[in-house]
Amino acid sequence: MADGRRGNIKKEKADFSRRDFLKLTKNIAVGAGVAGILPSMIWLEDGVAAIPVSEGYLLVDTKKCQGCVSCMLACSLVHEGEENLSLARIQVIQNSFEEYPDDITLSQCRQCTEPACMEACPTGALHVDTKHGNIRTINEEECIGCQECVKACPFMPARAIFDDKKEKALKCDLCVDTPFWSEPGGPGGKQACVEVCPVGAIKFTDVVPEQKGDGGYVVNLRGRSWRRLGYPRD
Amino acid sequence: MSGYAGKILKVNLTKKEITAIPTKKYDQWVGGHGMGSAIFFDLVKDKTIDGFDPANVVTLMTSPLSGTLVPAASGRTEVQGIGVQSYPIGWFTRSNFGGRFSSMLKYAGWDGVVVVGKASRPVWIDIRNDDVKIRECASLSLWGKDTWECQERIWDYVAGKGKYGEWVKQEGSEARTTQRPAVVAIGPAGENMSRLACLIHDASNAGGQGGFGAVLGSKNLKAISVIGTGGIKIHDPQGLMEARLWQKKNYAFDLENLKRTQGGFEFQAPPLPVALWRGGRPRSDQRPQACIGCHSGCRARYEDKLGNEASCFATVFYWDADSHEIQRKASDLINQYGLNAVELCYGLLWLVLLNRYKQLDSGDIPKCPLDFGDLGSLDFVEQFVKMLSYGNDGLDSKSQFGEDITQGFVRAAKKWGRLKADLKSGLLMFPYWGIPIHKEPRAQVYWGYGTILGDRDINEHDLDWLKWDASIAKRYGRRPQASAEEVVKIITDKMEPFQGDTLMLDFSDNNIYSEHMAKLVSWHRYYTRFWKQSTLFCDVRWPDFLNLHSPDKIGSTGIAEPKFLNVVTGKKMSFLDGINLGKKIWNLDHAIWTLQGRHRDMVHFADFIYTKPGTRVDVPNAYLPGLEDGKWDYYGYTDRRLDKNKFEKFKTTFYKLQGWNTETGYPVKGTLESLGLGYVAEELNKNGKLGKG
Repeated sequence: MADGRRGNIKKEKADFSRRDFLKLTKNIAVGAGVAGILPSMIWLEDGVAAIPVSEGYLLVDTKKCQGCVSCMLACSLVHEGEENLSLARIQVIQNSFEEYPDDITLSQCRQCTEPACMEACPTGALHVDTKHGNIRTINEEECIGCQECVKACPFMPARAIFDDKKEKALKCDLCVDTPFWSEPGGPGGKQACVEVCPVGAIKFTDVVPEQKGDGGYVVNLRGRSWRRLGYPRD
Repeated sequence: MSGYAGKILKVNLTKKEITAIPTKKYDQWVGGHGMGSAIFFDLVKDKTIDGFDPANVVTLMTSPLSGTLVPAASGRTEVQGIGVQSYPIGWFTRSNFGGRFSSMLKYAGWDGVVVVGKASRPVWIDIRNDDVKIRECASLSLWGKDTWECQERIWDYVAGKGKYGEWVKQEGSEARTTQRPAVVAIGPAGENMSRLACLIHDASNAGGQGGFGAVLGSKNLKAISVIGTGGIKIHDPQGLMEARLWQKKNYAFDLENLKRTQGGFEFQAPPLPVALWRGGRPRSDQRPQACIGCHSGCRARYEDKLGNEASCFATVFYWDADSHEIQRKASDLINQYGLNAVELCYGLLWLVLLNRYKQLDSGDIPKCPLDFGDLGSLDFVEQFVKMLSYGNDGLDSKSQFGEDITQGFVRAAKKWGRLKADLKSGLLMFPYWGIPIHKEPRAQVYWGYGTILGDRDINEHDLDWLKWDASIAKRYGRRPQASAEEVVKIITDKMEPFQGDTLMLDFSDNNIYSEHMAKLVSWHRYYTRFWKQSTLFCDVRWPDFLNLHSPDKIGSTGIAEPKFLNVVTGKKMSFLDGINLGKKIWNLDHAIWTLQGRHRDMVHFADFIYTKPGTRVDVPNAYLPGLEDGKWDYYGYTDRRLDKNKFEKFKTTFYKLQGWNTETGYPVKGTLESLGLGYVAEELNKNGKLGKG
């Protein structure tokens, strides 16, 4: 669904900062095959385009996660109507034999301010959804399954994922479009992974996280109660 | 078939043949144990075979809830077949392990694995979605490796050119996953057919009882690996999401409003490891660790990774360890070698006592290679573990003693001429079927009765929290979560079809042989057979009887189980429907035991249960609800013996309640037919095992 079914936008304005500018001329942009993203962009003076920042982000605490992957199960359930770890837009990867905290990594879509996936999409299927808080999302009907977004994602594992049966790319939409869950999603709404996480290891924020490195997205969500249970707070 | 993959994998190791059984054929059993028993009944024509016979069939079954968001019900795998641990007959039995094996099996498109026959050389089964191969162990040098190294070698092999941490594509397709394969493996103990051998998945998910490690070893099957990239269809996805959030909001622990800060076998318990090392939980940094889909993990992973995921008996068995570190290393050792922690615990205790009483060098006992002066050291436990795994002296030399104890401690005692005396004195704390004590059967009689009327230590903690709660409260002068009167009402109100009979939970001396107690044991058999072992709600977190998050402390059991099953499958089962199906499954199992040779006369405890007072197996005194002098309270019941004659009468009462012949304990045609088990009655009749009545 291109723009999602539900509108939960608290803020109408599009925030962007200097680092969010995509320094392209119109000619280069079209020539580079990114014409599809143009409607999502805001053109400034001097031929500089800016992608409005997302109004929502997921933060995770990898040290608090208990590895139950309930977030993955909830994600595929509300989006696809089935339980499928390969179609979960958040990925938990773990190794029983490793030492804490290196035994678990959580990989959530970062709703990047400069989304390489969006730039790589040749059809504009992957776009900024201005009706839903500028989330970076995929219009399934326009997706041709080329996987350029998957390849372009600079993170490991890629946060744009691929449904091999439908031959379409998928990515986190902060639960704007959840055909199997009637709760309003997106910025201002609820996210299935946040709601279901038993230990509160995933949090929604509308503040743009530091984009460089993982520090902005991997945070400490352990409070006093966590300490009361004998787990480290730091 | 929402909730199901639709087919069950059948691997014939003798014929090297891979086929599929349509799950629909066994749909009436819903999943897990029910399906496993029914498949076993159909495939094993001669039920009297030994567990090591290649004709023995081992089933590893999932449930419709496996791999779903149902809390504490997604990760269990039910294992069945003829076991080799129990004595004098290796009963058709079950084991069960957590983790992510069953869920991955479903994602790969299979509702279970049925292992038939015996491979001519050591092999492992490689399942990648529909692509299933029987591979020889030789190419990866798996045979001889411990369970952890075996799993890691298989992980690397299955990843191929891929790398974990990235998306790993399945060969020849665009399907992909970030997950490692779920592997269940046997260690050296299983390879050498030690009857104490278990199955290990990931670090410490153990299918401990039954000796299934040895059974797979006898089949030359080292491991089963599965990776799946598919999905499980859910009947009502929105209903499932809402049910999960309903359960979370109303019944699960809340970090911002913790009602309890202790762990325990309760739905409401927070995520704390059941780490029973003598020194308690490690002080190193750690996280809770949960099976797939669970709301509250019961294990942990540690900064130094010692004892990762170990819990319960895996953390207890080397009680004499000189240090916390050695105890944790011992936990890792039994997981790596693939050994049953409970049997090691009480087997070692027996040897320690024999040594203390200068009995180890007496009679028919071969020379013991262990130096008991070294008890407590890492070297000692490593040698002991190796003895039980390799059947030698634990130092690479032959040893008759080592060979004997790989047959299990009861069989060793029999061979050494000590069995009768040591079961009379209680030196050998194996009160039933050659299985070690776990909970005190003289206090928690439902545990003992369920075990002796069944096939194995029941290891079902449905009511165990009640004992812990009351016993700890008494010991430390705290208030229990609820008064005895309150708790028996809350629990028995949920025990359909016997609901409201509060005397089912009266553990006073006068009541433990009554029909009320027979009803409790019956309900427990039926509930666990279906809701726990067939739909695979986890034993640690279910049932949810008493819950401090809920008004009136009434937990969700009775409402929650069918709610979840129905939103996943689209079935319209009630809680009582499940109990009734549990009764049917219990009757099918009992018929199989009867075909194996079970008779009423065999159903008795070891002598020490009748002649010696109970012992401190977990708490100093087991406090349980009792109605004494007209007053409900918690009373300590450890210090009592069971009365043999009264237990015999109890058996009659129990058999009557089941509709079985009271003289033989055999199933009766009318009972079986009323349960839709007419075909079972026919087989019993053919074998002269159908009871009159």
